[in-house]
Amino acid sequence: MNKELRLDVRNLSKSFEIEVRKSDSVLEGFVSLFRKKIEKKKINVINNLSFEVCAGEIVGVVGRNGSGKSTLLRILADIYKPDSGKIFANGRIVYLSGFGQGFNPKLSMRENIFLMGSILGLSQKDIKNKYNEIVDFSELNDFSETLVFKFSNGMITRLIFSVMIHCLKHNYPEILLLDEVLDAGGDIDFRKRVNKKIEELLKGGAAIILVSHDMENIIKYCNRVILMDNGNILMEGRPQKVVEEYINSFK
Amino acid sequence: MGWYKLKSILGLSLSLAKSYFKSRNEGSYLGIFWYLLNPLAFFVIIMLMSQVINAKPEKDYPLYLFLGLIMFNFFLNSTISSTKAMVNNSGFLKSIKVSHESFVIAIILEFIFAHIFEVVILGFFMMYFKVSLLGLLFYPILFVFFVLFIIGIAFILATIGVYIVDLNNVWDIFVRLLWFITPVFYFASESSLLYRINLYNPVFYFLSIARDFLIYQQMPSIFMTCLAIIFSLVVFFIGSMIFTKNKNKFAERI
Repeated sequence: MNKELRLDVRNLSKSFEIEVRKSDSVLEGFVSLFRKKIEKKKINVINNLSFEVCAGEIVGVVGRNGSGKSTLLRILADIYKPDSGKIFANGRIVYLSGFGQGFNPKLSMRENIFLMGSILGLSQKDIKNKYNEIVDFSELNDFSETLVFKFSNGMITRLIFSVMIHCLKHNYPEILLLDEVLDAGGDIDFRKRVNKKIEELLKGGAAIILVSHDMENIIKYCNRVILMDNGNILMEGRPQKVVEEYINSFK
Repeated sequence: MGWYKLKSILGLSLSLAKSYFKSRNEGSYLGIFWYLLNPLAFFVIIMLMSQVINAKPEKDYPLYLFLGLIMFNFFLNSTISSTKAMVNNSGFLKSIKVSHESFVIAIILEFIFAHIFEVVILGFFMMYFKVSLLGLLFYPILFVFFVLFIIGIAFILATIGVYIVDLNNVWDIFVRLLWFITPVFYFASESSLLYRINLYNPVFYFLSIARDFLIYQQMPSIFMTCLAIIFSLVVFFIGSMIFTKNKNKFAERI
């Protein structure tokens, strides 16, 4: 492949200090003044990782819980600071994780769309322009003034997904980090439309890192898959092969 | 910090503040009543008390009291909430690259909304007591500095709140103590010990400048005005500096 390099990660390391002390309260701190100092435990979450991602490429990241996948994406997204190592990013990075960032069940759907949109970095004017498109995509046209806590799970999934996808399309990030975003539900028809939107994004030449526990999605979308374990890259290669290896590791 | 960045921080703060406001009021602007209930109830209680203990209140005491109550209330509410600004939003801060400042400023904006309604009620009081409304024109200028001062304090509290989880309890007690020290419902004559203590209390400066402008229609002392402005700017810059310096570590701590 002779494509433009979007993301180049060199020797990235990150460790967390886990205190054995239970909490950071004033009372605790005061009481612990009279006790012996408690040792801190150091855990290496990311261990000297290096990899690259090119434009138009989707790289999957799989691994057991606690293998450092989410931490890796958070470091790439500049939410956590790495201890050492370098990240060269050629373009804007957008990180999406889980579901419902900025989602407030006590507000109406309309208000939620505006709130989530502004958290994802859109101005009020941009959201106003996209509003109809977002509602149409989620097929919730009749409920724009309904408070969201009355929604069913399926409706909430559709709402959040629509906002996310349209905000993404607006931002057009060059590098996209998706943390278990595609795993969520929705019926077959809705997923089909979501897939179409994601393919559109790909054609725009974005580099995508996809963290998922849904092996079907990994095989379907990714060009390359990284298998992580305890902060190390165990294996890197063709999706079919890596996923097989990963599934075998459970047997 | 560029202009564009500032604009996006303020834009996000505003939409967050709107959502706080609406969700606290069950989605309706009628809920503003609940914000106003607290200062009004205090106002009534203290008015009754001052009758009972037969203090001889000065002229325009109700205005003096109400202005003190709403200004101190604004300080109290916004600083207490800001101690939890980062911890309560850990979900966001961990999962999306978003400007941390917005969550602090949103809290203050929320209480500014409420304060505007309180000032409107103050305006009605002033009309009732036949005090000229001219002073209200100067209030926004003073209020800008008051807000800068509070933003500075809020930034510092939000930062400490990340490392000390029960800061809100400690701060809550401290602010209530300050409420008694500050002449909110009583007068401190210039020769009293309380007055001298209050010379170290920035909130007192803002209160007495506002009272001079709005109720007594006189220029506040230049000494106090200058000190209040310097206080607010210094606290604002120190607060933002502390916050900016530490905010990169927040996501890992909460």
